[in-house]
Amino acid sequence: MSGRRVGTGGVVRNEVAKLRHLRVGLVAGLMVLGMVALTLLSTLTSAVFADPARRSWDVPLAGLSLAVPLVCPLLLALVASRMVDVEHQGGGWLLNATSGTTPGVLCRAKLVTGAGVVVVVTAVTHLSVWALGRLAGIDAPVPVGLWLGFAAAGLAVNLVVLALHVVLSATVDNQLVALGTGLLGTVVAVFGSGFPAWSAHLTPWGYYSLVAAAGYEGQDLVRTSPSCFSVLVLTVTAAALFGLVTSRFDRQETR
Amino acid sequence: MTTPFSAALGAELTKLRRSLSWSVVVLLPVVVVLAGSFTTVVSGQQLADGWHTLWLRSVVFYGLLPLPLGLGILASLAWRPEHRGGSWNALMSSPVPSLYVVLAKTLVVALLGAVMQLVLLVTVVLTGKLLFGLAGMLPGRYLVITVLLVVAVLPVAGVQSALSMAVRSFATPVAVALVGAGTAAVLLAAELGGVVLVLPWAVTARATQLATGTFGDSGELTAGGAAAVVVAGALLTLLAVALATRYLERRDVHT
Repeated sequence: MSGRRVGTGGVVRNEVAKLRHLRVGLVAGLMVLGMVALTLLSTLTSAVFADPARRSWDVPLAGLSLAVPLVCPLLLALVASRMVDVEHQGGGWLLNATSGTTPGVLCRAKLVTGAGVVVVVTAVTHLSVWALGRLAGIDAPVPVGLWLGFAAAGLAVNLVVLALHVVLSATVDNQLVALGTGLLGTVVAVFGSGFPAWSAHLTPWGYYSLVAAAGYEGQDLVRTSPSCFSVLVLTVTAAALFGLVTSRFDRQETR
Repeated sequence: MTTPFSAALGAELTKLRRSLSWSVVVLLPVVVVLAGSFTTVVSGQQLADGWHTLWLRSVVFYGLLPLPLGLGILASLAWRPEHRGGSWNALMSSPVPSLYVVLAKTLVVALLGAVMQLVLLVTVVLTGKLLFGLAGMLPGRYLVITVLLVVAVLPVAGVQSALSMAVRSFATPVAVALVGAGTAAVLLAAELGGVVLVLPWAVTARATQLATGTFGDSGELTAGGAAAVVVAGALLTLLAVALATRYLERRDVHT
């Protein structure tokens, strides 16, 4: 045995290899399927969509704006739980520490790996909705700027929620806490569209309502602009906190 | 005299006392009711039909997603001790019949589910009186529905307990609960009638929709609707317990 310390790239590669055994690809597929199916369902049952003259991209965008908060919070908690719980169950923290990979480094590698999955899920979901929208007969020009802003802001919120769950799953051995938080987050995210903007800023899940590209006010379909500045502040704050917390993990005694 | 079954049930209840199950049992219904009420308050709308509107806004979404997922998390929690350390081998070598083990676990999850319904009921009453100042008391039909809900959680408790027994991961059965609840929601939305009650998650969701007029419900609490929930719930629970017992009897110690 060489006794050499594993580099950051090596740690991330290890995490990618673990993903296959943890069936994270299946969960990612579930996320895409759930979001696309809900978007399709809300689009095809929309009264606005039923009228060919009023058919626009706002209908699937409103559906996707509802599907993201409904599907993502719990499944992100699930992805993080699957990735971290394996270290709790198999003594992975200690095993990695003996090869020079401290818990903080391991958590950061897990976030990088999980983030890769979330990026792919986001890209596949949005492209699928666009393709299905075209197939369903939406010929209007695609609002590229709005859609890209929605996708980027939604991705940022998802990454913040994922980071939170990596820390939570690593801190509390009992995964009830992580998944229970994910479930409560889903409730907050779903009802968030009815909350005033100030209260949506109070939790990471509230931000799902701030990134919506379209939605219904009563029977009326309205286009909304994602609050990119709020999401940017959230992302920077979350990145700083994640760095701080995981660097503290490095100084704690390994379990 | 203590029978083997009462001993098994007692052991499960003792384990629960040291778990964090209360966090799901109490927080989940309270957060769902408060989130629904908060959106009503900030929108400036009144509860158009008093207690009925409050019940509808609190319970329908709760039955579609939070309740089945909460039961999934509680079932994972109930089986967690058996999947750690040498507890599985201790279970395999204990003189308690497999049926009693499966029944005790299912009943414990169902008991927690029953407490959730009581918490939901109390929260709805308190919100109606204190937040909205509704006159009178919650109509009696909602007390009957609460009793039906206690029965309707049994099939989901049985299936989720069986899954959590078979799968070591805490998160995977919760993912299955999400797929089951999502499928049930789509089938109920399609208004296919009694056929959907072959799905355990649909039985629970249907019970929360009784007398609400949503998802094809007539808006009245009928003996036929209540009987369908009870019969389907009982049959699916028996099936889940029988299959789980058969599975457990064929398992061996982990080496």
